Amino acid sequence: MWWRSASFILDRQQEQNTSFPPNPESLLLSSPPPSMADSLQNPKPDISAYYQTRAAHHAVVTSDWLAQAQAAVSLQTNDDVSSGSDGRVALTGGGTGVDNKTFSVIDEFNSWRKQPDLAEAVAAIRALAAVIRASQATTMMELEIELKKASDSLKAWDATSISLTAGCDLFMRYVTRTSALEYEDFNSARYRLIERAEKFGEISYKARRIIAMLSQDFIFDGCTILVHGFSRVVLEVLKTAAQNKKHFRVFCTEGRPDRTGLRLSNELAKLDVPVKLLIDSAVAYTMDEVDMVLVGADGVVESGGIINMMGTYQIALVSHSMNKPVYVAAESYKFARLYPLDQKDMGPALRTIDFGVPIPSKVEVEKSARDYTPPQYLTLLFTDLGVLTPSVVSDELIQLYL
Amino acid sequence: MGAQKKGATARVSEDPEELARHPLQAILLADSFTTKFRPITLERPKVLLPLVNIPMINYTLAWLESAGVEEVFVFCCAHSKQVIDYLESSEWSSQPNFSVTTIESHNSISAGDALRLIYERNVIHGDFVLISGDTVSNMSLTQALQEHKDRRKKDANAIMTMVVKQSKPSPITQQSRLGTDELFMAINPVTKQLLYYEDKAEYSKGFISLDKTLIADNPSVILHNDKQDCYIDICSQEVLSLFTDNFDYQHLRRHFVKGLLVDDIMGYKIFTHEIHSSYAARIDNFRSYDTISKDIIQRWTYPFVPDVLCGSSAIKVERQGTYRASDVTLSRSAQLGSFTFIGQGTKIGNDTKISHSVIGERCTIGSNVTIEGSYIWNNVTIEDGCQLRNAIVCDGVILKSGAVLQPGVILSFKVVVGQEFVVPAYSKVSLLQQPTQQDSDEELEYADSTSGTGELRSDKLNGDIAPDLSETASELGTGGVGYIWTVFEGAYDEEWRHSVAPIPTDKLVKLMLDKDEDEELLTQDGNVISASRELKADSDGNGSEDDDNEDSRDDYVSFEKEVEATFLRAVHENVKVDLAVLEVNALR
Amino acid sequence: MPDTQALVNDFLNKLKKRKIEGSQATAKQTAELLRSVISQTRMPYTNQAAALIHSVKAVGERLIAANPVGCMHVMAELAVGNVVRRVLHIIREEDLSLTTAAMAGLNLSAESDDEDDTDRDNHPALSAAAIAAASRSTLRPPSLQTLLEDVPDSAAVPHTSSSGGDSEGKSKSADKSSRSRKLKHDVIEAVNELIQDISTCHELIAEQAVEHIHQNEVILTLGSSRTVLEFLCAAKEKKRSFRVFVAEGAPRYQGHLLAKELVTRGLQTTLITDSAVFAMISRVNMVIVGAHAVMANGGVIAPVGLNMVALAAQKHAVPFVVLAGSHKLCPLYPHHPEVLLNELRSPSELLDFGEFSDCLDFGSGIGAPLLHVVNPTFDYVPPKLVSLFITDTGGHNPSYMYRLIADYYSADDLVLERRTTSGN
Repeated sequence: MWWRSASFILDRQQEQNTSFPPNPESLLLSSPPPSMADSLQNPKPDISAYYQTRAAHHAVVTSDWLAQAQAAVSLQTNDDVSSGSDGRVALTGGGTGVDNKTFSVIDEFNSWRKQPDLAEAVAAIRALAAVIRASQATTMMELEIELKKASDSLKAWDATSISLTAGCDLFMRYVTRTSALEYEDFNSARYRLIERAEKFGEISYKARRIIAMLSQDFIFDGCTILVHGFSRVVLEVLKTAAQNKKHFRVFCTEGRPDRTGLRLSNELAKLDVPVKLLIDSAVAYTMDEVDMVLVGADGVVESGGIINMMGTYQIALVSHSMNKPVYVAAESYKFARLYPLDQKDMGPALRTIDFGVPIPSKVEVEKSARDYTPPQYLTLLFTDLGVLTPSVVSDELIQLYL
Repeated sequence: MGAQKKGATARVSEDPEELARHPLQAILLADSFTTKFRPITLERPKVLLPLVNIPMINYTLAWLESAGVEEVFVFCCAHSKQVIDYLESSEWSSQPNFSVTTIESHNSISAGDALRLIYERNVIHGDFVLISGDTVSNMSLTQALQEHKDRRKKDANAIMTMVVKQSKPSPITQQSRLGTDELFMAINPVTKQLLYYEDKAEYSKGFISLDKTLIADNPSVILHNDKQDCYIDICSQEVLSLFTDNFDYQHLRRHFVKGLLVDDIMGYKIFTHEIHSSYAARIDNFRSYDTISKDIIQRWTYPFVPDVLCGSSAIKVERQGTYRASDVTLSRSAQLGSFTFIGQGTKIGNDTKISHSVIGERCTIGSNVTIEGSYIWNNVTIEDGCQLRNAIVCDGVILKSGAVLQPGVILSFKVVVGQEFVVPAYSKVSLLQQPTQQDSDEELEYADSTSGTGELRSDKLNGDIAPDLSETASELGTGGVGYIWTVFEGAYDEEWRHSVAPIPTDKLVKLMLDKDEDEELLTQDGNVISASRELKADSDGNGSEDDDNEDSRDDYVSFEKEVEATFLRAVHENVKVDLAVLEVNALR
Repeated sequence: MPDTQALVNDFLNKLKKRKIEGSQATAKQTAELLRSVISQTRMPYTNQAAALIHSVKAVGERLIAANPVGCMHVMAELAVGNVVRRVLHIIREEDLSLTTAAMAGLNLSAESDDEDDTDRDNHPALSAAAIAAASRSTLRPPSLQTLLEDVPDSAAVPHTSSSGGDSEGKSKSADKSSRSRKLKHDVIEAVNELIQDISTCHELIAEQAVEHIHQNEVILTLGSSRTVLEFLCAAKEKKRSFRVFVAEGAPRYQGHLLAKELVTRGLQTTLITDSAVFAMISRVNMVIVGAHAVMANGGVIAPVGLNMVALAAQKHAVPFVVLAGSHKLCPLYPHHPEVLLNELRSPSELLDFGEFSDCLDFGSGIGAPLLHVVNPTFDYVPPKLVSLFITDTGGHNPSYMYRLIADYYSADDLVLERRTTSGN
């Protein structure tokens, strides 16, 4: 009976717990999200902040606007950092210090996250770096405990973002593993950790370049690529292919409700790549013209499957039944220690959908924003660790966590 | 004891191991001694012309190397400097176990002269492979070599083995594939000896004559018209000395082979080796150039195909037989048809259609161009809106926008065709004037003594051509540069035979009808082969050929009288039978 | 190094003249050639591994660029490339193990030596363990573990080793030269093992025959492969009685040869055409075939016709077993396998040219031939159709292939050509 299934009950509980009804989200970013004054809780726990942000990013915007937004954000970030650090310097350490620190972690994180070109995991790691910088600990053990608290709060703040979780976990593992090095004293260790964390942004960017390079050979002249969702990695891949003067065309799914397809087609049209927009339901109709499917991933799970925007599973099923290869472009820091067995195994990530007309309150809406694609429907994963088959993912994760 | 020893040493010297210690040698004639490829060969030697973008001589050398030949002597005469420079700068000069030596001459006018020169140089020891630089093959020589050597051991007169290839026994195959006339060969199927060779059969006569003694000496003879001569010969050393002895041997086939077949004083024999699934062909004229290019694109000559031969630049073979080299800039709307080869660095514009063609390197092809069945060499510029059909365009040519090349056009190096100009069919265009001394018999394979140097005779073309271009309305339209060579009346009818363009359907139908008529005539006669005198007498009844028969009958009658007289004298004077036979033969 | 040039030229010549038959022989001779190259390389004091790698890479490039002509074209290139990459990986591994050992030794000796304290102060952050960790990370393929790690002074790794060596004075110089000799010695030993493995791959694979072939089974194969022949005969030796169906493998019809061989060895054999495979597959228990190359995703490059056999086997739930020596393992991914890795041979194997020479010439209109004869040599079998790989290290799943590749090859060696391929 479907109304007794575990996930349904969870959903009901979630809804009953909301204190205020969710506001219909305006798709154009008019002002920065409200500051989390004195609240450790995510004010909208039932709405996935991760997907909200992505929606905000995916609004149909021009690249000029992007540039301006980026510039504005960086100014604000600097202000935040300076104000944050000022705030922290004034502290003497103690109970209130703890509150302020976690407060600033989430703030940090949000401010980093606003930048559209920055990956979630990078923002998380940078936030954690800020924690280290602000920390008063004198031994590695203390520092580790602080970091653990900060990372837990980040994770709790937005439980739906997999790359956030994965990024935090990765950084924690790195800290744990390298904290046992005997040769360095505490200060140099701290310095090293901060430096590595800040360099991580570069690593992320380099990762995209590596993935773009690796996937070039798979795009042959005259091929048709079906793309779903808007992934910066996939865009990089297509950009590089266009620069290498390959002849290919792209089918973009519309990507309701985020309209990712519109944004992607904008970008591709600028690169002179022939683009065709499809509504999501037209995928099976056009699948026989398609040579390969290329998607990004929000997270790559231990089984080798991926978690991505809603609709990916459907497309993978159709491609598999028509013998078309499905390629996933994902950076390696998105590998997460999850093993979902079915769609509802993950925590729900909900997102409001605007149908354009008012829906009667009796009618339920499936608001989930993501789905899980099992590994048997995926052909290859392009990561910065190389081209991998889905079975390699678990190997890598085991090596990391051993 | 001494005699035995002598016999032993004599046997040792004929021991096959002794012979095998000589490395296998080959003579490559890098001059065809013909003028069939003019005007192109006025500026460049035939063996360096690109065949599917690779100079012809590479195919031959690659094949020789793979066949186990270890020393090659390249004989160059026309444009010898170009050939020598090319060989020195290519990889052929530095191969281990494969030495390429060039032999230069400036006054040879035939293959015979070439072989005589090589004999003087005294570099050939033992059997060698004789080939011309425009032959493409992928056959394996081991079996043919072995057979040749075995025959030599048994019979020292077996001096040459010709390689022949089975082709379809249709009367027009030879014409449509290679642009040459039908070839008749009589071969003894048991010993594979060549008994009769005729490549210029006169169709007007409607019959060929075979000597009666052929049938007397050989228990079975098969007359073939389905064999193609590959012009690959395995020769022994006597061949060279024979050329030296007979100064009037010029052409390999017409003089040497026919001479040997007719001459039974010395008793030399030529044998044949037939190949079935391997490929061998010689590029004799433009039609065979076209055909063999197509065969190479279809990979009949594997492993001597462009993507394997030039390993440096990666050439991708795609479906439908399209070859694309690296660095090709194709516009999105350009359509590449099947069996096309695009060389490196070429740019192709929008809406251009290319099919069944070979495009060389670094060409620039504009938009809306149609190219079908053509061969375009390197560094060619074709502007927008041109149309090319079955043409050969050499290096450095510029076709201004809207130019049209009709089938069979040959544009030699650096010609410029003006805007909107239509080059008429089967015309040859060159920057050089047509040489005034034209051999009346254009089939005669004597090279022109001026063929080595082509001069620009016109003042207009001296120095800088550019400022004169717009004002000069030459034969090629506004802005065109070059001369259209006139074709002599007699030869015009024959142009289509060996042109690049395919045989027009009406001519094809006519050809087939002609053959049918010929066959009917022959069957009416009742015998295709008229073996000498008796049968000729039978054909007296045919009224159409009375005159010819009359004359020959007169000759024949006087000949008979002579023979009678000689015979009687021999009997009276008790001359030995052998001598009598010799005398009678000498009367022939 | 004139000798190496001569050796390389000689080897290339043999490849061109097709004097070397089969990928096993090619691989073995390539390994032997590289062994001679290594033994003749002069080793500098510092960065010895880099010198070795450089010389091996140079030879490898030449071998692959030479593009041997002949039916071995693609196969030889893959086998040669694989062996070159294996040797490079061996060099890196040996160097790594020596470095860590030496560093450990150096550390111990340095601690007891007062003179070295100044040196150690100059590199405060780099102790032996750090150097070892850094070197380990440079020499290993990128992984999640090393994602955050920086390689701060990768140049400092050998640098410190050399400076450490120098600063320890003459007493260590003898040790140093012995260490350099040791690297070469270790590498040559490892290459010898590699050659040994390649030579005995058939025996090692055949040893496993008895586990897979049971009594009264019916085996299907296509064409002729030496590995399959040895495999089946080994099972026969162990007194298993089974029958073999051999598909003839047009257009080269090598199945005929295999059938004759099997009969002389006493096996009950049935010869069928390729088209009859689907009809006979229901009577078959197992399909055993050889391969030309195994790609990194577990896909197989096999003689033409095997994709069809694999599909037939999948349809009737018959296990499809591929036998491949470890020198056939290729670290590349097949991007567009039907086109890129296929070799189109002469169509004369299908049609006799003479008979059809008229169809091939004057056609309609442009004189284009209406008859196009295509003769591809290879087939690509996707990994999902393969049930089991039997290599000389044992039986593996196709999804396990990446592990073997990680063991045998290093990521840096994937591209052997030094020039960048732009626009590809």
